[in-house]
Amino acid sequence: MTASSQPAMPTLRQVLARVHMRLILCAVLMAGVTLMVTGVLVIRGYADRNLALIARTVAYTVEPALVFDDMDAARRGMAAVAASESVHRVDVRDGRGRLLVEWRRPSAGVMTVIERGIAELVAPSPARADVRRGSILVAQVRVYGGADGLGRFILSGVATALACLVLTLLATWTLARRLQRDVTEPLAHIAEVAHAVRADRQFDRRVPTSDIHEVDQLGRDFNALMDELRDWHRGVVSHNRMLERQATRDTLTGLGNRAMFEQALPATIAQADRDRTPFAVFYIDVNRFKQVNDTHGHDAGDALLIVIAARLRAVLRPDDQAFRLGGDEFALVLAPGIAPAELDAIKAQIAESMEQPIMVPSGESIDASLSIGSARYPDDSADARDLLRHADAAMYAAKAGRAAIQHR
Amino acid sequence: MLPLGPGSDSLAVGTSRMVGAILEYTRWPAPRPIVRLCVVGQARHAGRLSDIHLSNGAALQLSTLDGQQDGPPEQCDALYLGSLAVTPMQRMVAGARGQPVLTIAEDDPDCRSGAMVCLLYRPKILSFQLSIDAVSRSTVRIDPRVLRLSKGGY
Repeated sequence: MTASSQPAMPTLRQVLARVHMRLILCAVLMAGVTLMVTGVLVIRGYADRNLALIARTVAYTVEPALVFDDMDAARRGMAAVAASESVHRVDVRDGRGRLLVEWRRPSAGVMTVIERGIAELVAPSPARADVRRGSILVAQVRVYGGADGLGRFILSGVATALACLVLTLLATWTLARRLQRDVTEPLAHIAEVAHAVRADRQFDRRVPTSDIHEVDQLGRDFNALMDELRDWHRGVVSHNRMLERQATRDTLTGLGNRAMFEQALPATIAQADRDRTPFAVFYIDVNRFKQVNDTHGHDAGDALLIVIAARLRAVLRPDDQAFRLGGDEFALVLAPGIAPAELDAIKAQIAESMEQPIMVPSGESIDASLSIGSARYPDDSADARDLLRHADAAMYAAKAGRAAIQHR
Repeated sequence: MLPLGPGSDSLAVGTSRMVGAILEYTRWPAPRPIVRLCVVGQARHAGRLSDIHLSNGAALQLSTLDGQQDGPPEQCDALYLGSLAVTPMQRMVAGARGQPVLTIAEDDPDCRSGAMVCLLYRPKILSFQLSIDAVSRSTVRIDPRVLRLSKGGY
């Protein structure tokens, strides 16, 4: 993938993870806050009523003791009521606010102090209750605390919310991993295959199937596209190859054409130079070819050329090359490593292969003969152009010699 | 346990408070708009009983008996028993039994007379003992919370 070109761009997995994180965080916070607020309100209502009840109970219990002025009994009564509750202080004052008797819970642990502090914030104490005899206000009871449970609820609620957040993070992480496995990895695979196809022309690569409908559909379409692309590519390659053949082959005889000869000659020279081995070039001309064309027609001339090409090819060794340069002109490049003595043998073989008359479409047999001129590299010339000129001259010399013999 | 203040009549003041408090928590079968308290015999600390004010608005009517009767007269809702010879004391207590009459003994620290409430005088402190037996035989009801305040009641 080419994501590295823009480092600020997030990956699909990051986007998904972020969306999940926000969603779950939002859900947890909303649920947590709602539960917390309702819980606090409900518990606070209960705590208020509970505290008021405790205050009334204390007032009822200590009333006779106050009437009898028996503060020890009053203290015992307060302790009996308050000790089993979440009350941490009770005091009783007379009608003028003077402290008559007080009870305090023995000092508590740190957690209790924290819970009490939180509870004081949301549920203010004390609860008050009057002690009356008839219309006379004997005393007033104040009860402090009573909402420690609320503090405990808030503390545990916050702890639970934090635990939920940790779980949320884990869940998001797991979810993102699953999503990566199910969605991102197949997509990454498609991207990777596309890259391989583009960069390396690997048209045989295919995307595996996926469990997710859309991704699977994408993969299938992608694979189908790859099939079409592969077929198209094959067509282009074979067409190119055909065009190449057409550009370098002579359509009549199937031999290489002049363009190919002009490529083959420098390549052979380079090879000969590299290996320090000599090679040879033959120039060949069909004798009286124009005459055959004129008397027997162009079909006969074409047939003549085809047969001559086939016979030349039959004589050549595997690494040798034959070309038709145009008209009735042929050229041979004899592969490097050929000895001077072999040249004459090959010339003799060619002449021998031409002794048999050639049948043309009209049914007549024609005797054809060739004029051959050769040039050896690098003995005759180390320059390609000069080498050809040398071979050409040798061929004309051979033709002239043959004409002299015939005229004689 | 009622702490007693300073002063020559602190015992009488404390006694008055104690008796008033006991009357406060006493319920007669029918509500008494006037609570008639009869002081019987030689009472040493009864001098301030007239100070008593009941919070339910009932008035207190004090009367004095010499203790020679066969039992508590009809007009007594409560008896404050001072020093008496054994026989008249027993007659008084026995006569109050089963009647709507509260009996308070001033001079019976061991609470053997059969009175419902016995006052206990100790230096600086006044307390009382409640005779469950006597209370249960009477038709007056004493608030059970008072039981906790009595000697040995808790």
